Amino acid sequence: MYGGGYIFDEPNRNQLREEQQHDEPEKLAAFEARIANGEKIEPGDWMPAEYRRQLIRLIEQHAHSEIIGALPEGTWITRAPGFKRKLALIAKVQDEIGHGQLLYNAAETLGKSREAMINDLLSGKSKYSNVFNYPAETWADVAVIGFLIDAAAIVNQVANAKGSYGPYCRALERICYEESFHLKQGHDAFIELATGTPAQKQMLQDALNRWWQPIMHFFGPPDKSSSHSEKLMQWKVKMASNDDMRNQFLESYVPKIWELGLTLPDPVLRKNTATGRWEYSDPDWDEFFRVINGGGPCNMERLQVRKWAEERGRWVRKALMKPMEKRVLPVA
Amino acid sequence: MSNDSLDPRVNRLKLGEAGEVVKVEEGENWNIYEVFHQEKRGAHHEHVGCVHAPDPQLALVFAKEQFARRKKCVNLWVVKSADILAFDVEDEDMFANNMEKTYRDASGFKVMEKINKFKQSK
Amino acid sequence: MINSAALTDLIIKMADDELIQGHRNSEWTGLGPVMEEDIAFSSMAQDKIGHAWALYRILYEDLGGRHPDAFAFLRPEKEFKSSHLVEMPNGEYDFSLMRHFLFDQAEAIRYESLQDSSYEPLRLLSKKVKGELKYHTLHANAWIMQLSQAGEESYNRMQQALNYAFALAAGIFEPSQEYEEVLIADKVYPGEKVLYQRWLDRVYPVLVKASLNLPEISDIVPVYGGRQGIHTPYLQPLLKEMSEVFNLDTEASW
Repeated sequence: MYGGGYIFDEPNRNQLREEQQHDEPEKLAAFEARIANGEKIEPGDWMPAEYRRQLIRLIEQHAHSEIIGALPEGTWITRAPGFKRKLALIAKVQDEIGHGQLLYNAAETLGKSREAMINDLLSGKSKYSNVFNYPAETWADVAVIGFLIDAAAIVNQVANAKGSYGPYCRALERICYEESFHLKQGHDAFIELATGTPAQKQMLQDALNRWWQPIMHFFGPPDKSSSHSEKLMQWKVKMASNDDMRNQFLESYVPKIWELGLTLPDPVLRKNTATGRWEYSDPDWDEFFRVINGGGPCNMERLQVRKWAEERGRWVRKALMKPMEKRVLPVA
Repeated sequence: MSNDSLDPRVNRLKLGEAGEVVKVEEGENWNIYEVFHQEKRGAHHEHVGCVHAPDPQLALVFAKEQFARRKKCVNLWVVKSADILAFDVEDEDMFANNMEKTYRDASGFKVMEKINKFKQSK
Repeated sequence: MINSAALTDLIIKMADDELIQGHRNSEWTGLGPVMEEDIAFSSMAQDKIGHAWALYRILYEDLGGRHPDAFAFLRPEKEFKSSHLVEMPNGEYDFSLMRHFLFDQAEAIRYESLQDSSYEPLRLLSKKVKGELKYHTLHANAWIMQLSQAGEESYNRMQQALNYAFALAAGIFEPSQEYEEVLIADKVYPGEKVLYQRWLDRVYPVLVKASLNLPEISDIVPVYGGRQGIHTPYLQPLLKEMSEVFNLDTEASW
């Protein structure tokens, strides 16, 4: 579901910048010409070290976000009300794991093994979308996540699916197809509560109020403060600016929230008809960075649960491991 | 016993300490198999992705749910990625058809022109 | 005319087993030992819950029962007829896999026998679920075979899981005290005794091939009680959790 717009960067960028200077200029020119021409880059192609590094980081974080993203909604798996919701929620959480699987495979084609990526997630070296560090307190949270966070993810993923790296685009194509089911079932659960009893509606409004800031955070800091370079845009690693994606999300979904008689906790939120852009209060960006750095309400639990799953599954994996077998990375 | 989670499933787990170091060993997620999916009888099997599995049997079992739980499918193949032989990407120029080889294409044969010429000549 | 009280009894126990087993298995969704298996196991949990739903719908549409959601989510514990096997907490993956193997083989045999049922809705359903169950047992057999032949720790785990689960699994075939003879006479299904025998014939060869030590058949004391509404202490909390949201407002639409 969920590649957030924000790609967390490790601090050792300069070192790799130097590596990149050794990239051969003619190959670089051919590589860039290919991308400018709308062609895809495939695993065996020559690529600048920085391109490879940025893509691994992007796809890996996207993959982590899927498997961590399975946890907040998983909170309600055993409690979903009625057969239809119960089955749809299990299927949805299952899809998140499926998306993680596809994305780890795509990242592996760039040379980093799944195990190495899992280890970087568990050690905290590699990040995932901040939005999953918040708790799903009530059933209505499931509706808000399923509708709005998935919608936000779709905005991001549809953009990324037009990027330059073949395996990532192919994974995203399949993911976007499944997201349309998520969005629909989320919207359905959302409408059910919005049009239900006063208590149901209140439950939904509460959830919406709590999730609004994390949703506004989802696309990352405003363009004016974002350090991501034009290079990433030129290489079609990053396909749209954070503010543009946020605006696109607001444009598509705020009316769908308002039409149900719900409110959003931002008094200045409105569309400026002159500019065609949405205006909103700046969410608390200090909070955003606090949560990224481990200070969110659920950071610790999310990683502990993932560690539990890896630890408990270890005997199964080890029992069937064949260390002597030749192992290569996925071919496409 | 409780981990103070909102998730009753999580509260039933015995979670480790917060800073606990958990590391997965290289190779623990097994080998990689490429998956080929046949949408209907008579169609080609097409490459759709890969699965990690300890052997071909489980690769097939896994592929079925990861690649055919929604999309129409009548059959799947799996093959170890290591067993796939492919051309190097740099050898793409081998595939370029820039020489005059129109004798290989239907468009290389102007049948109608000849028929029309023959008809006109009558 | 088939005895509808007898039919209802049979369908409730089948459906309750599938619902509770599917619910238990869905507790693994997102937490499985490896992503690929997580996905497969979750699909099978969904299938089971889906079968339960289909069975409750037969009760509702054909036998004067309650709406499936209300029937599954609001019924008191003592009215459930699930077997003790499916009520047990998940424990580790060894038990979950062994239970899945024993349960799904039993389910496959039960539905196979229903292909000749005199009761049409069950006959139709048994044809619908055939392909799914084929996958479930293929999956279960593959895991049992592989993990039992993969080193000492893994073998011991599977053996212990088998020792623990077998008598519980035999309890699936607890005959109904009231309706067993009626159902057999009405040709709804061949009865629990026959199914138990067929199940043993099906699971023993796999377990032998997996080199697991089998319990002496005559020593097995099946764990009964579930079909009469006598349950393990694990069912009540499961039901309470399952219906937590539904119970906030049982009249509302969710």
